[in-house]
Amino acid sequence: MLTTQKQKDMLLDSVIYVLLFCIMIATLYPFYYVLVISFNQGKDSLLGDIYLWPRSFTLENYATFLTDSNWYNSLFVTVARTGAGTLLGVLFTSLVAYGLSHKDLLFSKVYFAVIIFAMYFSGGLIPYYVVLRSLGLLNTFGVYVIPSMLSTFFLLIAISFFREIPIELKESAYIDGANEFVIFFKIILPVSTPLLATMSLFLGVGQWNSWLDSAYFVQSDSLRTLTFRMMEIINKSNIPIESVGAAASASGVTNYSLQVTSMVVSIAPIVCVYPFLQKYFVKGIMLGSVKG
Amino acid sequence: MNFETKWATPFKAKRHQILWKRFKKQIVLQLFVGMGMVFLLIFSFTPMFGVVMAFKDYSIVTGIKGIFTSDWVGLKYFDEFVNDYRFGQIVRNTLILSFLKVIFAFPAPILFAILLNEVRHMAFKRFVQTVSYLPHFISWVVVVGIAFSFLSADIGIINKLMVKIGLIDMPMDILTNANYFWGLAVGSAVWKEMGWWTIIFLAAIAGINPALYEAAEIDGAGRLARIRHVTFPGIKGTIVVVLILTIGSILGGGLVGSNFEQAYLLGNDVNNPTSEIVQTYAFKVGLADGRFSYAAAIDLIQSIISVLLIFSSNYIAKRVSGSSLF
Repeated sequence: MLTTQKQKDMLLDSVIYVLLFCIMIATLYPFYYVLVISFNQGKDSLLGDIYLWPRSFTLENYATFLTDSNWYNSLFVTVARTGAGTLLGVLFTSLVAYGLSHKDLLFSKVYFAVIIFAMYFSGGLIPYYVVLRSLGLLNTFGVYVIPSMLSTFFLLIAISFFREIPIELKESAYIDGANEFVIFFKIILPVSTPLLATMSLFLGVGQWNSWLDSAYFVQSDSLRTLTFRMMEIINKSNIPIESVGAAASASGVTNYSLQVTSMVVSIAPIVCVYPFLQKYFVKGIMLGSVKG
Repeated sequence: MNFETKWATPFKAKRHQILWKRFKKQIVLQLFVGMGMVFLLIFSFTPMFGVVMAFKDYSIVTGIKGIFTSDWVGLKYFDEFVNDYRFGQIVRNTLILSFLKVIFAFPAPILFAILLNEVRHMAFKRFVQTVSYLPHFISWVVVVGIAFSFLSADIGIINKLMVKIGLIDMPMDILTNANYFWGLAVGSAVWKEMGWWTIIFLAAIAGINPALYEAAEIDGAGRLARIRHVTFPGIKGTIVVVLILTIGSILGGGLVGSNFEQAYLLGNDVNNPTSEIVQTYAFKVGLADGRFSYAAAIDLIQSIISVLLIFSSNYIAKRVSGSSLF
């Protein structure tokens, strides 16, 4: 019988621990499982019954992934757009934010109204497509990095961050005759690492995971992103039994094993930077969500 | 009159001069900001004006100018959508998916936060929390890939396991059955985003005065009673605000967002009767079939409803709790 409070608490504790343990397994096991499958021979995986470790260990999925020009190329495009897109986005957004962080800036009321308006309204996909088309951005690498150069959300966050920077820092530089460019790059950016890290994390993850822009605005095969190619395979793979190409089928690599391998390749960098950036993203969501 | 104009003119000129002087002094800053404004003009405001194409007979070959020079057709395309034979089904799917997500994906992070808060083993708590954010950072494509690995009728590990232990005779076609789509979409959204939104509720719980717990304990309240009478009332304000903001973005999927990505990635020809939503339909008739005006009209209907929802929920949030988005 559960008579005392202590016994009840112990029961409650065990229920909580069991529940949390289940949630943890449900979250982690899928990642572990795709990792296992990516190291298992492709044709063998189709037989099922693999749960905890590879049945016939092989690296050929990764070897095929890295030598297949389509996959290799999409990985390259994704790395390039993540690097360029994040750098451009962080620099441009913080540059504009730096200008707006000056309280004596003329017309700043107009500027803020424009930003808030742009934040909450959009013309929708179709007119946006027409604009990109007339700018000649369709089917170019630029469509991945240019339209995402300015994030209105991070613009507002960066402005409030820059306003916290002590004005004395800037004033001494003014006296030394530094211009705004120098101040921005040599004084403001170096003291803004928490902001830059948060922005880089969110913009970088967004770029790395993005497939919609590849689906909407790109036709050329050489510009496909990793997640887009994965999406194509998943869409086609209601019957994933057939192998890729003659050479591949001899080695036992299947479309499915390649898809799983690409998933691991897509997840791995995020898991790797994850522990280091944790403190920043918790800050990030708090900035964005509970205001005032 | 004479007197006034005589004196006002030089004064006005002087004011302009002072303004101009100030402007020149901050010209570099104005240049930084100006670049941002030009950017927004091109990528945000031009598409907003472009929405008029929903009321016109627009053809893509006429480029951006064509939006303004093409002929007005009034509400022709709105009429066409309302009379589309799929209209009822698509609107129903959009609404059901959106509401189901609020009903199931909204309480999940609250319950999870309360559970986590009851853990006194700090290292374990932190570990579970860290693990639970991870899916938020993974692309929906990968999540759907994982769903495929676990649920597909051919190779899905869950199907194979259940057949093996005799729970079912035949693999279930979860991914390709219209009856399962909503459950699949809501389930995967909870799996992906529950941990992430827990952050907000845990922060709210952390803000509760510890003295309240002590007082409750002295009064003889057990753990469950403390959850009910201290933790829950303590985060009620946060829950209300987040709920209202969720309803504002309900058509996009609420807190967990991504109605479009889910419907597009998890949707297929077989489950299409339940998986086609307004956004995917607009995408298909627009970019795939090239019917730009029609797609813009469909998009616009959803945008107008969304904007109304955002403003009204924001208004309610302001009234109820004093905090709001803008």
